[in-house]
Amino acid sequence: MPASSESITLEGDLHARPAGALAVAAGRFAAVVSVTAGTRTVDAKSVLGVMGLGATSGQQVTVSADGPDAAEAVAALIAILGAATRVGG
Amino acid sequence: MPQLAPQVGIVLVSHSARLAEGAAELAAQVGGGTVTVLAAGGTDDGGLGTSAEKVACALRGAEAGAGVLVLPDLGSAVLTVRALLPDLPDAHVTLVDAPFVEGAVAAAVTAAAGADLTAVAKAAEEAWHARKL
Repeated sequence: MPASSESITLEGDLHARPAGALAVAAGRFAAVVSVTAGTRTVDAKSVLGVMGLGATSGQQVTVSADGPDAAEAVAALIAILGAATRVGG
Repeated sequence: MPQLAPQVGIVLVSHSARLAEGAAELAAQVGGGTVTVLAAGGTDDGGLGTSAEKVACALRGAEAGAGVLVLPDLGSAVLTVRALLPDLPDAHVTLVDAPFVEGAVAAAVTAAAGADLTAVAKAAEEAWHARKL
């Protein structure tokens, strides 16, 4: 199965609503998707896991996916992280 | 994004109307606002306690064709839900044992992603293992 990975530097803290948007989007893909911040990696489909990362503005976050739609999943989640953390919430 | 299939609905049963309403508001917003999360809190006269009538009303309102997940805040709310279910033989309801706030948020997000009732219940139960710190 294809694997894909991409990193982004957050422009805001990863609060509840962007974490929710990320997990909702991740849940729509068949691929296994994870988010890594610092030394911690969590299931991107678990909103509580994503919130528990405590990822903050300026921190580099990596989205990795493995599965048939891995590339699409990574692109979608990186876009959400870019947009949602600029808006905050 | 258009919804191709009905989503699982969520009912939060609390002894406090304000607690249920606040948790429902939070869960719905974190879920992106597409999921029906209904509060069934307090007694019929507005006091602390649970109301079978409020729960029944919320169960009907949350059903969109994919079933309804029910989260109680404390153990004794379970009694109200369990006593009610035999009166609703056609209801597609799962009563889940999960942390109230975290379970509601996890369930709403999972329902928003289009998961079925079993997967939404599992997401709520997994909230027992999610650490905040």
